[in-house]
Amino acid sequence: MAAETGAPPAELVISGWAVSSPYGLGRTAFAGGLASGRRAIAPLDGADWPVPYEEAGLIPGFDIKAVLGRKGTRSMDRVTGIAAATVGMLLEQYGAGLAADAESTGLVLGTSGSVQSIMDFTRDALTGDKPYLVDPARFPNTVMNCPTGQSAIRHTLKGPNVTVSGGAATALLSLQYASRLLRGGHGRALLAGAAEEFSVQRARLERVADHGGAAPQPLGEGAALFLLEGATDARESGRPVLATVLGSRFRAFQDTARAGTALEACVADVLAAAGAAPDDVELIAPGTPPGLLGKQEESALDGLTGNRLPVRSLVGDAGAASAAFQLAAVLAEAEADPRLVDRLTLVTAVDRDGTAGALLLRPA
Amino acid sequence: MTGARHRVVVTGLGVVTSIGTGVDAFAAGLRAGRSGAKPITAFDTTGFAYSNACEITDFDPEAWITGQSPDDLGRAAQFAVAASRMAVADAGLTEEQVRAVRSLVSVGTTDGESRDLDHLTGLQVSGGDDVLDAVVARRVWPGRLSAGIVRELALEDVETVTVPTACAAGNYAVGYGYDAISSGDVEMALCGGADALCRKTFTGFYRLGTIAPDVCRPFDADRQGILTGEGAGILLMESLESALARGARIYAEVLGYGLSCDASHPVAPDRDSIARCITAAHRNAGIEAADVDFISAHGTGTRANDVTEVGAIRQVFGEELPRTVSIKSMIGHTMGAASALASAACALALRDGFIPPTVNHRTTDPECAVDCVPNEAVEAELKVVQNNGLAFGGNNAVLVLGRWDTAA
Amino acid sequence: MTTQIPALDDAARTQIKDIVCDILELELDEVSDTSLFKEEHDADSLRTIEILASLERTFGITLKQSELSRMVNLAGVHAVVAEAKAQ
Repeated sequence: MAAETGAPPAELVISGWAVSSPYGLGRTAFAGGLASGRRAIAPLDGADWPVPYEEAGLIPGFDIKAVLGRKGTRSMDRVTGIAAATVGMLLEQYGAGLAADAESTGLVLGTSGSVQSIMDFTRDALTGDKPYLVDPARFPNTVMNCPTGQSAIRHTLKGPNVTVSGGAATALLSLQYASRLLRGGHGRALLAGAAEEFSVQRARLERVADHGGAAPQPLGEGAALFLLEGATDARESGRPVLATVLGSRFRAFQDTARAGTALEACVADVLAAAGAAPDDVELIAPGTPPGLLGKQEESALDGLTGNRLPVRSLVGDAGAASAAFQLAAVLAEAEADPRLVDRLTLVTAVDRDGTAGALLLRPA
Repeated sequence: MTGARHRVVVTGLGVVTSIGTGVDAFAAGLRAGRSGAKPITAFDTTGFAYSNACEITDFDPEAWITGQSPDDLGRAAQFAVAASRMAVADAGLTEEQVRAVRSLVSVGTTDGESRDLDHLTGLQVSGGDDVLDAVVARRVWPGRLSAGIVRELALEDVETVTVPTACAAGNYAVGYGYDAISSGDVEMALCGGADALCRKTFTGFYRLGTIAPDVCRPFDADRQGILTGEGAGILLMESLESALARGARIYAEVLGYGLSCDASHPVAPDRDSIARCITAAHRNAGIEAADVDFISAHGTGTRANDVTEVGAIRQVFGEELPRTVSIKSMIGHTMGAASALASAACALALRDGFIPPTVNHRTTDPECAVDCVPNEAVEAELKVVQNNGLAFGGNNAVLVLGRWDTAA
Repeated sequence: MTTQIPALDDAARTQIKDIVCDILELELDEVSDTSLFKEEHDADSLRTIEILASLERTFGITLKQSELSRMVNLAGVHAVVAEAKAQ
């Protein structure tokens, strides 16, 4: 493992990414969709999805068996399928090099699992002739690390395998966790990101959640994964440095009215730590939650002149994957716009349960 | 991220368990070899041939949760919040002191608030799909386990993360706190795990044939499986400088930890991968296998786990195995809290100089032959202890704690 | 209890084969009455418990976990199910 091969990396970079989104599978669909400004949210078929929502951002035609094949997918749930497919796409780009070092290659996935799987399992227990007549193959799906563990099994990732959760800030927390693992010498290359599924039960629960006084927004789903490693490792392995991770900061707020102050402090801190000024931020992908929380985020970012990249309004509220989509959007934009090279880009999140977070990147 | 890494120590413990709430009651329970096993009252068990668990029957959320409405938290989050307040007080800190420094709160879990999801599912089954209890629905997301602590303590300069890495989650959360403090990113951390008994998980293990009909007997020839349990364990950790500067009592030093993933099977453990995890933990902690004075095993008491785990230990330690115990024999399998509570037990063992027993033990299985300290705790001079956590998804995490010696 | 256990009819045998093939991800012609689930079809312990669970639900029977040791192939499953149905 990496721990014995010398000093932890001084500089962490993103050297690859993959995405499954309401625009379809892959980076091209995602980047093209965002660039066109086309809304990827579509009307729901009420027969398939008996939910209290009219529309949602679903991965179009997502079918686990069609994407991953029949083998090992018989009992796989949707969020696991989405995660495994996205991890697969990222590894496809660099498979040979990373596979040779399976024990040092790991996965930090942000997800809260599948409430649908959990509730389906209990429903079987409550409605069967006996309370234990459940499908044992579906029991692992009811444990929240299932998408992470299954992705590792399908793609032979033997390094650290960690599941993290923190609402809208989940993906930022996942990158932070992965960064600490790399700096602590627990792995050499980590796939970090987040995954979310659309489901009937998630929709029912989200409908009654706190939306900051606004109406619930359409839900989205998907996953984005980023390959995080030391800059030297990336260069020596022939992988491109897409962006340098300059750092992230998190703070908590007790009530929504303080969310802006918390986020403002996070942004000031990441900028200070990078020795940068607000004017250096060329592009911002905010979380844009509805209602009061969104207004708080806007006010916290008031002092920054960088362009705003809209994501949620186009793909929906992607839950745990929200900030992963924002980061993917920044990387897509950086690929398309050479003016962003060596400028700073910022991803922000404010979660209704009281976390504000900011991630600062420098596209290469 | 510049400069030398900081040493990290445990200065406060908060525990909610079926053998005692609060560090003194827990320590006394461990020493006495108390068992939390009893018939389940958390849900209707009609139709199951047997249904014991290590349930907590005397938990009063109102006694601990004052900064928010207890109804805004599910049972797992309530346990986590209570344990955190205990850990802060046990460390001799005021909440203002914790608020004044940069901190991390990381809480591991297997099921989050699945007990609430069971309840919501029950409402749908009896009353129709559109029936929903909105208060419960708002608190089911796992982020609440850590966010509830932050809200209760009114922390602001804090990173808040829930780590749902199943039954090794407590060790993941504690290891994360170790990295965050040792790198200098934060000064203090409240880390551990929490879970509440739920029908979903009992049913799943029952269906797999891994629930013991009576009690949990790790390493025993007649072991028949786990008993599910519940509770929370939270460790207050800080840098050694911080602890020394305020003259804090130090339970133990966190020496390091290791992670590995089997990447082979969703539920069956893998010997080689567990051995790799143990070796990684030793390397990270800067110790040799021979330094380990006892192992707090994952030790679920299932046929498969105990043989595989002891096989992995043997692979690393050779024929001379340190004493290897399972506190699950006393408090059941508390899922995401399991390795956090075991970490707390290890910290107490280091401070007080004893090894907790493996209770309910009759005859050691030759296939997993270890000195499991059967039935009665032993006094022992301890310097280094190892705590194993293994989980579904092949998620392994091993933590190494050492005695803090002022003379060292 | 009777000493004579009635043999399973063809419909039950077909149902059992469908269940086993579905769980083990096999085509119907890949499995014979005597081919071994574990050795020849890569079945692990979770898969065999899945088969047991599915049989219980399908036939409304109760099978002891200890019967898993006999359920090594279709012939073994037929015997176990026939006995359970006769109870």
